[in-house]
Amino acid sequence: MNGSTEKTQYWNPYVGGILLGILLFFSFFLAGHGLGASGGVNRIAVAVEDLVVPEHVDKTPYIAKMAGGDRDPLAHWLVWEVAGILLGGFASGLLRGRVRLQTYRGPQISTRARWAYAFAGGILMGYGARLARGCTSGQALSGGAVMSVGSWTFMLAVFAGGYGLAWFVRRLWQPEA
Amino acid sequence: MNRIFKPQVLGAVILLSASGALALYGQPDLEQKWQFMAPEFEPRLLERQVQIDPAELLSLMNDDYISLIIYDVRSERDWNEFHLVDSERIALEALPTQRERLRALPENGVVVVVSNDEMLATEAWKRLMVLARPNAYILEGGLNHWLNIYGLPADEAGGGRAASLARADGTLRHSFKLALGDRHAAAHPDERHAPQREYTPRVKLLKKIAKAGGCD
Amino acid sequence: MAPYDLVGYFGLTGSYLIYIAIGFAFGFILESSGFGDARRLAAQFYFSDLRVVKVMFTAIVVAMTLIFWSTALGLLDYNQIWVKPTYLWPGIVGGLVMGVGFILGGYCPGTSLVSVATLKIDGMFFLLGHIAGVLVFGETVDSINEFWNSGHLGFFTLPELLHLGTGVVVFLVACLAIAMFLGFEWLRGAIYGKTQ
Repeated sequence: MNGSTEKTQYWNPYVGGILLGILLFFSFFLAGHGLGASGGVNRIAVAVEDLVVPEHVDKTPYIAKMAGGDRDPLAHWLVWEVAGILLGGFASGLLRGRVRLQTYRGPQISTRARWAYAFAGGILMGYGARLARGCTSGQALSGGAVMSVGSWTFMLAVFAGGYGLAWFVRRLWQPEA
Repeated sequence: MNRIFKPQVLGAVILLSASGALALYGQPDLEQKWQFMAPEFEPRLLERQVQIDPAELLSLMNDDYISLIIYDVRSERDWNEFHLVDSERIALEALPTQRERLRALPENGVVVVVSNDEMLATEAWKRLMVLARPNAYILEGGLNHWLNIYGLPADEAGGGRAASLARADGTLRHSFKLALGDRHAAAHPDERHAPQREYTPRVKLLKKIAKAGGCD
Repeated sequence: MAPYDLVGYFGLTGSYLIYIAIGFAFGFILESSGFGDARRLAAQFYFSDLRVVKVMFTAIVVAMTLIFWSTALGLLDYNQIWVKPTYLWPGIVGGLVMGVGFILGGYCPGTSLVSVATLKIDGMFFLLGHIAGVLVFGETVDSINEFWNSGHLGFFTLPELLHLGTGVVVFLVACLAIAMFLGFEWLRGAIYGKTQ
């Protein structure tokens, strides 16, 4: 596994975890809810869809709840949090010189193949996150912190899915054995 | 010695101590939760901001725009004698079951708690506030007062005398020949024929903030 | 008592600024911890890089402890916190799908945003896929409506499930997390024969 080919100074994961935990706590304390990500992306996608095919949006119940009529899907904290995540990620990367147009991929596959798999993985993620009513940020972290049973079973399922398939797709990530 | 003070070990120890202490300290019970909230909510009771006149309740019952929930927290016996139309009987201990419903209450949702006088209803109101902070009110004077105004048709009651509100002891101080529940006329008085009353309206509709915190 | 009506105190714009700030901190921490790198994220599933479980579960346990100490001391009103309602079956199936998506794509929604923010092209493809998946879901969800709402257990927490006190569960989760860290570290050593 070529995780350490670059001399990148990432934080100690425990430190990152503690900071993230404090942030998560503050989110609950200030706003009464945890963090989120996929919901924000969802809403932005729906907002674009509303621009392009508004009548269709009005007719599909799931989307109409967010954007039907004159409801503004972007008037929701998730959207702003997503904006913040982009800014924060950029700032951190910029500070450490990690902002670079490149593709991270396992050594055994081509760049284009990586793009295809990323896209495919993204579709599954987008679909799965809506199905589970949250993603690892929303359901796992936030739901987990308040001990929601659904969130913990969700987390187990995510790890099961990932670990279950890992060996079969090891070519995507592992160096030549 | 070095091994013991590795930051990870230290971190683990701190974590386990903090959570272990939490396990011992426990979470606040109903009484304690009310104590935490009392500075903000007790004044509303003392300044009579949340006790509404029977006439106001009647107008709520007739208002199509309002989504009204009436919780009747009295005994089954009193309930069978008389209760308001569209009210729901619920015991104090069962109030926690209403949490999801109350949190999902829409902008036009209003909750009113009724009992014979105000004592049980006030206790229920406190519990509702701890549970979900809904837009809730108490029927002023309770059903005794309500029936003084809207009840007492000569052929229904046993005596036709208004109940004394000063002697508030939580009992239903009207008597009925038959325990008709909500089929008495007074269970939903006709506003056109009911005595007109002046009152200070207390019910305010709360603007709903998008509380849904999920990736939804 | 917290939580606060942010819009009431700060106005709509103010509340949005706060959320941007929260998101900023989130993205910053994620990127600084290496979560913008799909290879490291995927490595979790091969036990060669354990940052995913370490960060996630440390965060959960720390947050949990802080939250429930705050409720115990009356600083935070637990009944006003948003606890996601449990929909058991869509949650499990969705989780499995996401697990597969994770190992194929190398990101999860939050980390893909961080990746895009540092101009990683694979992250951008992932995000595009994410949007596509979301749109597909929006179109098809109404046809699986029954499944979508199945297993609805409402606000259902671990203490309620296990019939244990809140603090006890927090403690047990902390123990579980620590055990997991040790276990994973051992596994990593066993498979790769090196220590971090």
